[in-house]
Amino acid sequence: MNVFSTLWGSVTRGTLNGAVSVALTLTALSVQAADDATIKRGEYLARAADCVACHLDENGGKPYAGGRGFKLPFGMLYSPNITPDNETGIGTWSDDDFVNAMQKGVGKDGKHYYPAFPYTSYTLMSRDDILAIKAYLFSLPPVKQPNKENDISFPFNQRWGMMFWNFLFNPNERFQPDPSQSAEWNRGAYLVEGAGHCGECHTPRNLFQARDSSRNLGGAVIQGWKAYNISGDKATGIGAWPDEALASYLSTGHAEGYGVAAGPMAEAVNHSLRHLTPEDIRAMVVYLKSVPAQTYGLARPEPKMLSPEPPAKGNNPLGQKTFADACVSCHLWDGTGRQSTFAALKGLRTVNDPEATNLVQVLLGGGKLENPHGDHFMPGFARAYSDQELAAVTNFVLDHFGHAKGMITAEEIAKRRNPE
Amino acid sequence: MLTLTINGADHQVDVPDDMPLLWVLRDVLGMTGTKYGCGIAQCGACTVHLDGMAVRSCVLPVSNIAQGQKIVTIEAVGQSDLGKKVQNAWLEHEVVQCGYCQSGQIMSAVALLDKKPQPNDEDIDAGMSGNICRCCTYTRIRGAIKSVSQA
Repeated sequence: MNVFSTLWGSVTRGTLNGAVSVALTLTALSVQAADDATIKRGEYLARAADCVACHLDENGGKPYAGGRGFKLPFGMLYSPNITPDNETGIGTWSDDDFVNAMQKGVGKDGKHYYPAFPYTSYTLMSRDDILAIKAYLFSLPPVKQPNKENDISFPFNQRWGMMFWNFLFNPNERFQPDPSQSAEWNRGAYLVEGAGHCGECHTPRNLFQARDSSRNLGGAVIQGWKAYNISGDKATGIGAWPDEALASYLSTGHAEGYGVAAGPMAEAVNHSLRHLTPEDIRAMVVYLKSVPAQTYGLARPEPKMLSPEPPAKGNNPLGQKTFADACVSCHLWDGTGRQSTFAALKGLRTVNDPEATNLVQVLLGGGKLENPHGDHFMPGFARAYSDQELAAVTNFVLDHFGHAKGMITAEEIAKRRNPE
Repeated sequence: MLTLTINGADHQVDVPDDMPLLWVLRDVLGMTGTKYGCGIAQCGACTVHLDGMAVRSCVLPVSNIAQGQKIVTIEAVGQSDLGKKVQNAWLEHEVVQCGYCQSGQIMSAVALLDKKPQPNDEDIDAGMSGNICRCCTYTRIRGAIKSVSQA
């Protein structure tokens, strides 16, 4: 009996010990799993917030190591290293340091950021989401790369001045779901206004370089590109776009007859939007369609019914000839695109803009959209064609595909080749 | 596994979705008549037919080709009456100099003449736009196309 009880006891203890150690292992595993899940979520949110767009030097830099230059009205600003390197990155930052940076625009050293860093949008993000992004950034290999010195003129180099600006223009408030709207709408609002920081480009800025909330998402000019009106207005915004078209534009950079992303928007699609889930894209569509209409800026042209034949010789023979030589091979005379609707020109705001802002940018620099089924690419024509030829072909495109009378001159092209 | 209908025969290919048709033709199927020029749809050397339309195979991901769409390459273009006529005209006019771009030139010319049997100079400019020739055989190309249309 004794023997049995002793044996029984030892078996029980053994089992208990085993159970405890199994439980401990499980706990450790689940902590690990929770970390992995947080890191995964952080990676997704870092994509949604498009951190890499700025924190990457496009001339061969490493992701998140910063060093990209931004030309502002008051000088040059360089994005910092946000890899977890202790000396040159944010390796020594605490959770609070990181949250303060994202929500208040204040760095670990108490230094105020300039609002080129979109903390006035990120401020809507929850602490939880922000810390997931931090967990992701800290899971990456540290990159030792000292930050470049900014070159900002007085008085704007006095960062403490931002305290007053923040008092006026950074609400420092988290996103509050609107209970009268659907969960989908609220998710869309969080992504568009918070993480996605669409308004940083698409909302015009006031005298103090703060977003003019009375014109939310009503379109603006930034870095020499028109960030079009994406409010709910039917003519000048995206109000008339079918939901599928808007979803396609966000997830692929392209919606036939409505828009093709280029320039900074192509970057946003390539780095960020194309990685979002279909559910999140739908949520953004639902929210964007509900944004109060701002009647401002360019209207999308009614797609013209054009012949696949070359048009009769008009009053712009050089433009027509240049289009025939350089453009028609991909875009075709009727603007339907030879083998990809990514090359379709019908119905785009860009071919209906008498200032030809984005059109000239694309002609000069080309464009590229990354896609799981292969990249879509347009070469730049800056080096192969003269100012006169580019002006002529710009005016031809505006006249042929849009309803705008193009009056772009060779001098204007020269200016845009070398912006101030 | 994708099924591509090339020159009348079905080919099963196991390739990534984003592989351009040109790579499949040349490297996977060994059909090297179609040439690689610029890789960005700017030179026309890689032109093939997709349902009769001239397309640049270097920027056409295979996954964008629907099952059953007919691909014709330079290897088989001479099997049609028109293709044979164009190839003969090319020989009669001694169009070819170095020859590198000529597969693409012939494919574009056949697509043009198929849609427009009697093209004028402007139609030829438009139809052949995007096929460039470093040897500048353009006048002979124009002559060859016209001889087919007038035959």
